[in-house]
Amino acid sequence: MKKSSIIGIIIIAIAIGVIISTYADSSTYGSFSDARESQTELHVVGQLNKEKKLIYNPQEDANYFAFYLLDKQGKECKVVFSGAKPQDFERSEEIVLTGKMVGNEFQASKILMKCPSKYNKDEVEIQEVQQTAA
Amino acid sequence: MDIQFAGEHLLPGKLGQFFIILTFGTALLSAIAYYFATIKDTKDDSWKRLARISTWVNTVSVLGIGICLYYIIYNHYFEYHYAWAHSSRALPVYYIISSFWEGQEGSFWLWMFWQSLLANILIWKARSWESPVMTVMMLSQLFISSMLLGVEILGTRVGSSPFILLRDAVEGPIFSRPDYLSLIPDGNGLNPLLQNYWMVIHPPTLFLGFASMIIPFAYAIAGLWERRYSEWIKVSLPWALFAVMVLGAGIIMGSFWAYEALNFGGFWAWDPVENASIIPWLTLIAAVHVMLAYRSSGHSYFTATFLVLISFVLVLYASFLTRSGILGETSVHSFTDLGMFGHLLAYILVFFFLAVGFLVARWKELPITKKDEETYSREFWLFIGALVLTVACVQVISTTSIPVFNALFGTKIAPPADVIQHYHQWQVPFAIVISFISGFSQYLRYKNTDSKKFFKKIGLILIIAAVVTAGFAYIAKVHNNVMYVVLTFAAIFSISCNIRILIDAIKGKWRLAGSSIAHIGFGLLLIGALVAAATSNVVSLNTSGVGFGEEFDKNNNSKENIILYEDEPVRMDEYTVTYKGDSTEGVNTYYRVNYKVIDEKTKEVKEEFDLYPHAQQNAKMQTIVASPDTRHYLFHDIYTHVSSVPLKEEMAEHEDHEGHSEDEGYEKPVTYEVSPGDTIRYREGVIVVKGVNRNATIEKIPLKAGDVAIALQLEIKTHANKTYTAEPVFLVKGGNKFDFGKTLVDPGLKVRFSNVYPEKDKLEMMLYQKPKAEKKWVVMKAIKFPFINLFWAGNILMVVGFLISIFRRNKEIKTTD
Repeated sequence: MKKSSIIGIIIIAIAIGVIISTYADSSTYGSFSDARESQTELHVVGQLNKEKKLIYNPQEDANYFAFYLLDKQGKECKVVFSGAKPQDFERSEEIVLTGKMVGNEFQASKILMKCPSKYNKDEVEIQEVQQTAA
Repeated sequence: MDIQFAGEHLLPGKLGQFFIILTFGTALLSAIAYYFATIKDTKDDSWKRLARISTWVNTVSVLGIGICLYYIIYNHYFEYHYAWAHSSRALPVYYIISSFWEGQEGSFWLWMFWQSLLANILIWKARSWESPVMTVMMLSQLFISSMLLGVEILGTRVGSSPFILLRDAVEGPIFSRPDYLSLIPDGNGLNPLLQNYWMVIHPPTLFLGFASMIIPFAYAIAGLWERRYSEWIKVSLPWALFAVMVLGAGIIMGSFWAYEALNFGGFWAWDPVENASIIPWLTLIAAVHVMLAYRSSGHSYFTATFLVLISFVLVLYASFLTRSGILGETSVHSFTDLGMFGHLLAYILVFFFLAVGFLVARWKELPITKKDEETYSREFWLFIGALVLTVACVQVISTTSIPVFNALFGTKIAPPADVIQHYHQWQVPFAIVISFISGFSQYLRYKNTDSKKFFKKIGLILIIAAVVTAGFAYIAKVHNNVMYVVLTFAAIFSISCNIRILIDAIKGKWRLAGSSIAHIGFGLLLIGALVAAATSNVVSLNTSGVGFGEEFDKNNNSKENIILYEDEPVRMDEYTVTYKGDSTEGVNTYYRVNYKVIDEKTKEVKEEFDLYPHAQQNAKMQTIVASPDTRHYLFHDIYTHVSSVPLKEEMAEHEDHEGHSEDEGYEKPVTYEVSPGDTIRYREGVIVVKGVNRNATIEKIPLKAGDVAIALQLEIKTHANKTYTAEPVFLVKGGNKFDFGKTLVDPGLKVRFSNVYPEKDKLEMMLYQKPKAEKKWVVMKAIKFPFINLFWAGNILMVVGFLISIFRRNKEIKTTD
């Protein structure tokens, strides 16, 4: 057998290993009830419940941030994050959390926000405009 | 309904749109003409002449688009959506340039601009290769210019034009008013994170890299097309090196921008957008190595061709990932979706099938050797190295492409929960293998090498590298992790091998210097990245003044932010850190954070510096956009950013709501009975009762006989060594007692002289303190990155190495011509 064929086989084996590992390591998207059942780390996509207050008092604890999130099924859960409140959090339209359920709280290790901030959304700030028009 | 809108400047937009159509048309014409110039083997040069003329017109027209767009942004014509969305009046000129390419359309223009510049160089330099190579180039130009068309074809909009008017792009009731422009005083402005000098030069460099990746691709296609199988590898080698160099420089600038302007606390986050740009870079580096192997030994022809072709397809795949909106939930900073999903996909597929088609059609003719490579030959290990790099890319691609799989197969797989760890478990071993190969293969010759001599040379270097590694791993504190030690060893081994070669090069074989410098750079980069990422520690965590244990675990749900009150020093690591107040400059608020190193014994200040992390406050939205500030040392960096600050407007509102009584906003008062000469300690300092002023007066209250007005003379010394004086007054008027307190805004105090007890010879004083929260504060995070300069230095060396190699390989073409 040619040496390069052997190497080829080894390389393909590693490549397959890589791809399997991608799926072995991959997480899942789920809801809060999935998180409660599985008790493992997963991703929860949802929206911030803007009616409830965000809890962040740096004077008391600069690393405690809590808020309420509605998952895609509309279920609400308190989310706790050890860290400072991310910038632009209030305006987030969609939030992707990575973390797991501890008791009745979802402990997030990572928060990813999709902010249709003023820098990438086509929304002329009509409010201001109407004031001048009136 | 035809409304005559007031104040619009329609000419530059119309002109710009005309240039877009012209660019598209000339690209099409040029591609067709070059195609016929390639296949028609006639003496008549008419096709070529036509092709050249249309390429030149194309270049002029691309410049025309740029000038029109720049004119619109520069003059703040907010009737154009692009200007409105990406710029504002307050932007300085150099950031107007960055707002030019903030949007997708502008960045496509940039790509097109570089591509036409390169096209002109090829017309000038490519000689017999011009027609086939330029056919491919102009086909690519055709695709990119179609992205800017913004015209409706068969009911679907093709491309997105930067010259679209705001009133056409956005719906709103105001656009039915003829004077709507007067209601839009300013544009949306440039994202503050992009207002950084690196953002002025990072995108042009990156896009020059992307644009130049097409040249090796075009040569490969041309080589297959015209059956000049071996020739193309030689002539395209300098171009491949050029693309690798420029793209590498562009990626590093982006990484430096992330480190300097974003506060994710690092230089690489394995974000899909970052990965997308590094994948084609790695495959082209692999390609360069096997191209060399083929040239010197005749081996690895297919690997070289395949890697060159796939690299450009991966460039297109990268722009598909970042621009189509498919990354959605997995990336923080991809472009917004402009509805070009299908369009971008078509671009990839055309070039992919072009490559596959030519490979299949010419398969039987390709000069693929049937011979086996010798184990002790350079070409063998170049081949292995290229394969390992490719597999490393496969790993990055497969994880980055999870959203693509989801879209293709309707699955709902999420990326790994711990992304960094997931990448490192694969990339660290790959990096180890590649480092070793890049070291020892320098001592192998093409064809075959005497193994005894080889081992003799390598053995010595291995010993030296082992000794250096032992010392360095201990100093850099990476000795606890086996993988880290092995990687450090591999990188140091590679550096040592290449230093040896470099010494020979300086002695006379100058032409070898490029490769060894680039490899030394690569080794340094690996060590720098490893040490900085693995041992970076959050110093702001350390409130107790006790040093970290070395087992400090970053994932240990650590509390990495710390609150600093103004003028209250906090000990962190070896630093005494004090927040010294803020200042506002333009839109940014700068927070002055003072770092001091104080000698334990002598109490002398050994070192002192201020950092100014800043934030843009958006009072209406109640948010901040923060940017870090970094103190650079030779061997480490201290990186600081604010995570949270009091919002200015919000505080004012607070007082408004609750300020019902005068004493509100203070803590419950503390009552003291004092005599002159007493000293009272309070939370932030001491109050000294200096004496009593028996002839006090009060404004607007005339004193009559029998009235008594006495004042307490107080001196307040805060811990920050500031001194204030206050004289609260006690008044007995008409038999009634009154007191007039004094408010000291700065130390946040109010003092009242509330009673006199002659029988006890005591005076009653009440002290009101602002609660701590009302004091100025910042929440910040500070990270120490050890040896990060090795990472930057390695990067620079690598670019220098590539540059030297370009000259070498270019000269080789000339000497054999």
